Amino acid sequence: MAKKRERLGVIKDILRAIMKNRQIKPTRLLYASNLSPQMFKEYINELISKQFIKLDIDKKEKKTFSLTPKGQEFLQEYKMIEDFIENFGL
Amino acid sequence: MYEWIIQNKDLIKLFYASLIAIICIVITVRADKLFRLSLHQGIRYFRNAFIFYALAFIVRYLVEAIAGHGRITLYYPYINFCFEFLLIMAGFFLLYSLLWKKAEHSSEGYVSSLFNSRIFIFYSMSVIFAIVDVLWQTHLFLFLSQILIFMFAAFISYENYKKNDAKHKFPKFYFFAMLLSLFVWILNTTAELWFNWSQAILIGVYILNIIIFLLFLWGVIKVTKR
Repeated sequence: MAKKRERLGVIKDILRAIMKNRQIKPTRLLYASNLSPQMFKEYINELISKQFIKLDIDKKEKKTFSLTPKGQEFLQEYKMIEDFIENFGL
Repeated sequence: MYEWIIQNKDLIKLFYASLIAIICIVITVRADKLFRLSLHQGIRYFRNAFIFYALAFIVRYLVEAIAGHGRITLYYPYINFCFEFLLIMAGFFLLYSLLWKKAEHSSEGYVSSLFNSRIFIFYSMSVIFAIVDVLWQTHLFLFLSQILIFMFAAFISYENYKKNDAKHKFPKFYFFAMLLSLFVWILNTTAELWFNWSQAILIGVYILNIIIFLLFLWGVIKVTKR
């Protein structure tokens, strides 16, 4: 059985999916994240509150997510954070 | 050599405290940077542990060295209370950084890591231990609490090292640092109970403590230097 993804791993996957597409629609991001709609909503709210991503709404009310500079920094430093957690068993 | 150490005891204490306080501040700053980026609770508690260690060493040794031993005799019980409280809290935070996943749920959201109900239990216990030690003019409750804390921490870090499957080298050293810390607290207890604070044992304790904090620093720098 596949190992359940850690919270930080899910965040990384969501951010990478956004980075790959630069701007991504909520439905496409939901598929890319491989989460249930309920869990997806929780993670998205968390990422918006942490200012890792932002929700853009255009004139036609079309919603897309994009990465903030803080989100980009997180992705760059992700390996370091992961190593720190694993090394100290946190 | 031994004579020289005894003659320059105060200077050596100042060097010892400054070195450990600087190590703790470096660890705190680096861990804080990673916490601000990830908002990971484990990193947050780990960072808190080293804030408390830094404060403990600053309060106990630097204040004594700067103010001069004679001048602070009157305030010694208060300084000792602060030192013990900060040191016990640091131990609790270090242990809790290994345990928090079992005690907290992600649905709880982010609360203050310094003021929440679980940490309040640690504050209460630390205050009680520090008060009892000051009243009885001993350090035994501090020592006993730290022996128990590092027994648990050594056990958990051993489990983490086994789970790690040689992916990283550091968990082995972290387990070793925990074991060494446990040994140091046992050594401290022995020095108070049976050896009337033998200077030779205390020098050993100082050296081992420096090794332990350098191990922590090495682990942090190894990961965060990139």
